[in-house]
Amino acid sequence: MRLYTKYIKKYGVVFCVSLFFLTLEAVCDLLQPTIMSRIVDVGVAQRDLNYVLSTGGLMLGVTAIGAVAATMRNLLSTYVSQNFGAQLRSDLFKKVQSLSFENIDRFDRASLVTRLTNDVNQVQVFVNGMMRIFVKAPLTCIGGLIMATQLNPRLAVVLAVVVPIVGLFIYLNMKIGFPFFMKVQQSLDRVNGVMREYLSGVRVVKAFNRFDFEVDKFSHANEELQTKSISATRVMSIFSPAIMLTVNLGIVAVLWMGGLAAEQGDMQVGHIIAFTNYMTQILFSLMMISMVFNMFVRAKASAGRIGEVFAEENRMTWKEQGSLQGDGKGRIDFEHVSFSYEGGHGESVLKDITFSCLPGETVGIIGSTGSGKSSLVGLIPRFYDATKGTVRVDGVDVREVDPKLLREKMAIVPQKTVLFTGTVKENIRWGKDEATDEEMELAARMAQAHDFIERTPDGYQARVGQGGINFSGGQKQRLSIARALVRKPEILILDDSTSAVDVATETKIKEALREYAQGLTCLLIAQRITSVMDADKIVVLDQGELVGIGTHESLLKDCRVYQEIFQSQIGKEVQ
Amino acid sequence: MSQQSQQPPVFPSRPGRGIGHGARGPVVKPKNFKGTLRRLWQAFDQEKRMLPLVFLIVLVDALLMLSAPYLIGKSVDAMTGGEATLGLLGVTVLALLISYILDGALTLLQGWLMAGISQRIVKNLRKSLFEKLQKLPVAFFDSRPHGELMSRLTNDIDNVSNSISQSTAQLMSGAIMIVGSLVMMLILSPILTIACMITVPLVYLLTRTIAKKTSVLFKNQQIQLGKLNGHIEETVSGIEVVKAFNHEHKATQEFDEINTELCRIGMRAQILSGFLMPIMNVINNLGFAVVAVVGGVLAVKGMITVGVIASFLSYSRQFVRPLNDLGNIFNVLQSGVAGAERVFEVLDEQEEPEDVPDAKTLSQPKGHVVFENVSFGYKPDQLILKNVSFESEAGSTTALVGPTGAGKTTVVNLLTRFYDVTSGTIYLDGKDIREYTRDSLRRSFGFVLQDTYLFSGTIKENIKYGKPDASDAEVEAAAAMANASVFINRLPKRYDTQLTENGGNLSQGQRQLLAIARVILAKPSLLILDEATSSIDTRTELHIQDALLTIMEGRTSFVIAHRLNTIRDADTIMVVDRGEIVEKGSHESLIEQQGVYHQLFFNQFKNLQASAE
Repeated sequence: MRLYTKYIKKYGVVFCVSLFFLTLEAVCDLLQPTIMSRIVDVGVAQRDLNYVLSTGGLMLGVTAIGAVAATMRNLLSTYVSQNFGAQLRSDLFKKVQSLSFENIDRFDRASLVTRLTNDVNQVQVFVNGMMRIFVKAPLTCIGGLIMATQLNPRLAVVLAVVVPIVGLFIYLNMKIGFPFFMKVQQSLDRVNGVMREYLSGVRVVKAFNRFDFEVDKFSHANEELQTKSISATRVMSIFSPAIMLTVNLGIVAVLWMGGLAAEQGDMQVGHIIAFTNYMTQILFSLMMISMVFNMFVRAKASAGRIGEVFAEENRMTWKEQGSLQGDGKGRIDFEHVSFSYEGGHGESVLKDITFSCLPGETVGIIGSTGSGKSSLVGLIPRFYDATKGTVRVDGVDVREVDPKLLREKMAIVPQKTVLFTGTVKENIRWGKDEATDEEMELAARMAQAHDFIERTPDGYQARVGQGGINFSGGQKQRLSIARALVRKPEILILDDSTSAVDVATETKIKEALREYAQGLTCLLIAQRITSVMDADKIVVLDQGELVGIGTHESLLKDCRVYQEIFQSQIGKEVQ
Repeated sequence: MSQQSQQPPVFPSRPGRGIGHGARGPVVKPKNFKGTLRRLWQAFDQEKRMLPLVFLIVLVDALLMLSAPYLIGKSVDAMTGGEATLGLLGVTVLALLISYILDGALTLLQGWLMAGISQRIVKNLRKSLFEKLQKLPVAFFDSRPHGELMSRLTNDIDNVSNSISQSTAQLMSGAIMIVGSLVMMLILSPILTIACMITVPLVYLLTRTIAKKTSVLFKNQQIQLGKLNGHIEETVSGIEVVKAFNHEHKATQEFDEINTELCRIGMRAQILSGFLMPIMNVINNLGFAVVAVVGGVLAVKGMITVGVIASFLSYSRQFVRPLNDLGNIFNVLQSGVAGAERVFEVLDEQEEPEDVPDAKTLSQPKGHVVFENVSFGYKPDQLILKNVSFESEAGSTTALVGPTGAGKTTVVNLLTRFYDVTSGTIYLDGKDIREYTRDSLRRSFGFVLQDTYLFSGTIKENIKYGKPDASDAEVEAAAAMANASVFINRLPKRYDTQLTENGGNLSQGQRQLLAIARVILAKPSLLILDEATSSIDTRTELHIQDALLTIMEGRTSFVIAHRLNTIRDADTIMVVDRGEIVEKGSHESLIEQQGVYHQLFFNQFKNLQASAE
């Protein structure tokens, strides 16, 4: 909760003022029945018309004060909760953006998104609720008890019986109800699971004609959900009438006891009416409190999850004055680099790798899936830091440089194509904000994307993603390449980013690169030997180890792994 | 539930009904309210028999609740009435006691019954929705995001359930309460009734104007929230790219813009809707005060008794509460109907056409396939395949190559009737494929696709998917043939290993081997391999290639691949481009032709071959 001190400092005062108004509001509510009882007991009983009118006026006055308080409280609480929520969300977003991948990897991506959206909302709703009803409910409850007891201590005996019973019911309701709803949630998940599987596997189901099986599976889950839901709802439906009945029985008891007392002239009728009114108020507030508990549990869990993210400390460090003023532009050196995930505690992914990419060189990296190719290039922009050994860019140890400076001079086309909602133009320009239309088009041409972009009705204004044209996988990859090229980087990293592009197009892209981007250091991860065979140098990785380095011809001669890959791709032709 | 509860919590119309069903987002209005309501009514089906009973309970309960304030008033009068009233007090209090107990019992019974009714209706809706999905053509699934369909199954049906279980009874009892309270109030004291009614138009006008304004604001807020969530989703899941391009600052800036706007709209919506509660409170209290004062005056003048004031106060509250709630109930009802509408939309989708009346069952076909002038397009003017004709002999292998989007997959989709041809005819063993039952036609095919689909369940269950009655020995034989037994035997639970959704705990290659084993076990006569090995690295591919060769033997096979080495042994290679077959022949003849295929092959292999020599 220490994390929230900042917000308490900022909004604490307004928050307290709003609580003050809330209290005022509650007091006004609580005064009503008492004033009412005076009208009946004094005004009506003594047939004093003036008293009736003046007390009635007082009642309206109190109501008006209550309304003003409520309005103020509304303004203040909205101000606090909305601004607090917005700021918390913004802070969390900045935090996430500032974390290194080592930190981010500790969380599931989907869970980070949930934390930013759902969890922040939960906390915000709770803060808002606190200023609206959550504080008011206990106030009204306690206030109601005090007022009622003061009004008539004898009748308060009824309260002493009713309130604990209602409290017990509310407790049982939560205690018993919660596991029931957990079960409902589980069966619901199962129903959704069957549905989701069916939707993704629809071709397989159709191909194998397994409709009956699927319907059976679904019916089973559906049936279970129905049973669980019915029993949960039924269990819950016991409590509400039970609580109601308890309070109503209390009212009957008050009437009976009060009636007997009034008979003997010990009690005034107005008191009895007021007393029943207080009972209803107390009941309402008790039910609100049970809601508060629910909300609190949820908000607490959310606050905890948000706190976890804030608690992450960025492990990546660098020297403030560190710069890339080394020798050679775009030179990359790996010196005895080893790497493992989970802060160096995981299984080793790279083992003692040493090689250099000279400025302007094209270096291919090849190896089977899981051999460490992506991890290797991830060390260059400092997505991760090497566990052992040193990675140098322009001769400078990357750990001494601000990742921002480092990333400024390189462009990466990731394995998984990521495009953002917006137009084609916006997506390409993402690589370089100030790029001119000409630069952008040139990049698109080099990436062999210009033609298909032009063929869409809206050209460069065509929308990507939701509500836009669905480009094919290969087209998206080409857009992603264009985005990298528009940056005019010194180092270009292509992480298997032409896998969905056909060979002819890939060749054209490589030719364009050779022509326009001279002096560019290019790292090329690929599955296909044809993609890397004309590189200046090919690095062969196998289970995290560098098992070969050289040109295509030399590797064919003496690298066993490379030969195997080659064989597998050329098929039987060579035999 | 809804993410943000900006609206004030809905107070139950009477304490005790439905603790804390929170606020909901903006209401989505159904397009055809009446029509959908009528269909929903049909969906009640069997449950209609129970409804009269429920309504009877609601009615009796409402009447009981109406009598309570009257009895309270009577007992107050009995207290003030002087001598010989103790008996009267006893009678009224006893009556009150009985009516409260009855009320409790009836409420319980009603909740009990409604739980069953609404859940059964919803279960049946879900069931018919799922069964409908079985009958829909593949095109339906291809054209819709799965998330959207999922939300129809969950959120929408949830809304239907809520609206059935809550609104129906509430609407009934609310209406009875309003009318009943009004009648009772008039009987008790017409003058007080008029005094009390002063607040009604106020309440009505206020809720209407505020609700109208806030619903727009809440809608905007929801849109803004959607935008923000979209932005978060994109930037967090694509954070590699954000970071690689040094875009943290820009992303944050964009985020702040949307966030600030959300905060602004949210504040306006909140403040406006927040006014509703205190203002209603004031109006209610005003009514309370007016009744007290006027009642006091009347009582002083001896025109009414104190008991009447006491009853009146209760009635006025019973009168106003459901009035306030009606708007809310209507919202729940509306989103329920909107949900039902979206469910019905799916139920109304065009199903796969029925088999022709005298459709034949295809069993063990030889596998002779002919495409005769086949064209296909989703829209007649946008043909994806144009006038395609070819013949594949039984047991032969036909390969389809060409750029993505050329129509290769469409060819096999037509062959298996995932889609039906727009014009032309496809023959299998000399008969139009539309003359066979769709079931038996598809059963003759085995599929190995790029994205293998595995279901959550054990490995054994997954292999047996195509032949549920297979013995363990058969399963193991199939796995062995598919080169899958090696890795399966290495797993601690072997064939009983539980797979997570879509086999997430296996590698891509292992999943593919399982898919192949599944096909082997099903023993289809024809085989379709659609980019079966393209997402697997080439060394793993070698294992799979062997397995594939095993199953292709003796079966008519259609192979789609963009790695050309996988298809060079095919009997016929067809180059498809922009929906047309541009070249056709064996590998050797196509190379000799020096056409498109030659070009493709040249690109991929020439250098490799040269270096091999």
